[in-house]
Amino acid sequence: MIEVDRLTKEYNGKKVVDQISFHVDKGEIFAFLGPNGAGKSTTVQMLTTLIAVSSGSATINQYDIQRNQKDVRLQIGVALQETGIDNDLTGEELLVLQGKLFGFSKDKAVERAVELLELVGLSADGKRRAGTYSGGMKRRLDLALTLVHQPTVLFLDEPTTGLDPASRQQIWTEVRRLNEEYGTTIFLTTQYLEEADQLADRIAIINDGKLIAEGTAAELKALNGTERIEVVLEGEQSSEAFRQAFDGRIEKGLIILPSNGTETLKQVVRYLDEQHVTARSLVVKQPSLDDVFIQLTGQAYKEES
Amino acid sequence: MWRETLILTKRSLLVTLRNPFSFIPNLIISVFFLLVYTSGLSGISSLPQFGGVDYLNFILPVSIVSGAVGGAGGAGQALVKDIESGYFARLLLTPVSRTSIVLGPMLAGMLQLFVQTLLIFGMGFLLGLSIPAGISGFFLTIVLALGFGLAFAGYSVGVALKTRNAQAAQAGTLLFFPLIFLSTTFVPKELIEAEWLKIAATLNPTTYIMEGMRAVLLRETIDWSVYTQGVIVAAVLSIAMVVFAALNARGALKK
Repeated sequence: MIEVDRLTKEYNGKKVVDQISFHVDKGEIFAFLGPNGAGKSTTVQMLTTLIAVSSGSATINQYDIQRNQKDVRLQIGVALQETGIDNDLTGEELLVLQGKLFGFSKDKAVERAVELLELVGLSADGKRRAGTYSGGMKRRLDLALTLVHQPTVLFLDEPTTGLDPASRQQIWTEVRRLNEEYGTTIFLTTQYLEEADQLADRIAIINDGKLIAEGTAAELKALNGTERIEVVLEGEQSSEAFRQAFDGRIEKGLIILPSNGTETLKQVVRYLDEQHVTARSLVVKQPSLDDVFIQLTGQAYKEES
Repeated sequence: MWRETLILTKRSLLVTLRNPFSFIPNLIISVFFLLVYTSGLSGISSLPQFGGVDYLNFILPVSIVSGAVGGAGGAGQALVKDIESGYFARLLLTPVSRTSIVLGPMLAGMLQLFVQTLLIFGMGFLLGLSIPAGISGFFLTIVLALGFGLAFAGYSVGVALKTRNAQAAQAGTLLFFPLIFLSTTFVPKELIEAEWLKIAATLNPTTYIMEGMRAVLLRETIDWSVYTQGVIVAAVLSIAMVVFAALNARGALKK
């Protein structure tokens, strides 16, 4: 569905996006994960024909993003990081206009507008100017505008950045529904590890313009080995003895043990019982995307809201 | 392409009408100019070089052209607003041609200047304007005003796309204000004394627009060769500005 080959964007000699290659299959939810400034939005802007490509190439549904731009635009729906709404027009006017610009007759454009207002729960507000809408309403109108021409691929650039957890859940539900009910292929960028983990079939991690890993969440986590057990014990002496017994390490006051599932856990519990040591806390941690990021880049992952 | 251009022009007009303060001040100013010029300067038309034409007819094109320079900036301002709201990016994501996308606000700007020109004429008639060549003089002036209006709206849209900044777009049109005065603005060329000003007036495209209007407004017989020059200048400028704007449309995203 989306094929990207060594795509590069340079600004003043600096490679903001550096030779990235990946593919997205039909019907997939694909997450482009990376911290702020990693090159996510620039990639989206290239793939959606908004900015020129410096080198490399990409196709969407076989249409080349440089040579067949008009065809590409007919295939894709795009919700950029900031909404694209004219505040002087009403929600309905904007949707009708959008339909007409995609070649609909007036009647069909109106029909589609009514349908979409209903879909995003703005039927009662369609006749009001968009300038009077709340932030959340604008997001929903923006999503409706991207769906007018029933695109086969949807690009969502940081759809949940800055939203509260409840609104974030709402967007996730909507994305899943579009994917399941209409088979829409979804390319989304996010800086939230959890979002990529929860929502995406496959994830690509981008950092500093370079693609550093790609795969399913499980595959990526497997890259960074294993489960671990984090323990805090009463008493310094017993802590040190415990660490040595299990060949662990100390990190930020936690004793971290490599784990082989329940077998290690059993041994830990037996040890604590026999030695009469009290544990203040004991947690089994699955490997996370966070760990993957640290392993690959040597730096901690930073999320910003 | 024409269908989309029409749709986008209508949209720009609707947005303009919903922001009356974007155009009302300039309407008032351009009508005011005409009143002041006529009242203050009409005495010079008794000089023999004027050949007995009415000063009101002579100064009317100045009012139209300066009104256009002041009013056309509105098209660029509207476009900067679209870039800032993100709506321009939304338009770029439709299959509509880039030319249609820039022509929408340009044509809306041109129509705004058309209304403005009608108002200036209205004020002129109130002041006792009569056109020796009759109704054709009126229509030919309007045609030239539309052409110049389109070129100037195009210029302001192009600058808006290039700079993506409201102040720069405004300043870009203000730069052209001196052009109005480096011309045969208040007196015919024969009366300009400074040699440099004569040269400036000859190079200045607004000279040809104003002279073109005067060719159909001043006398009973229309001077077709001067009028045609004006039309050619307006047409060349318009086309150049549409191209300038369309070339800058791509990548005109919010900074």
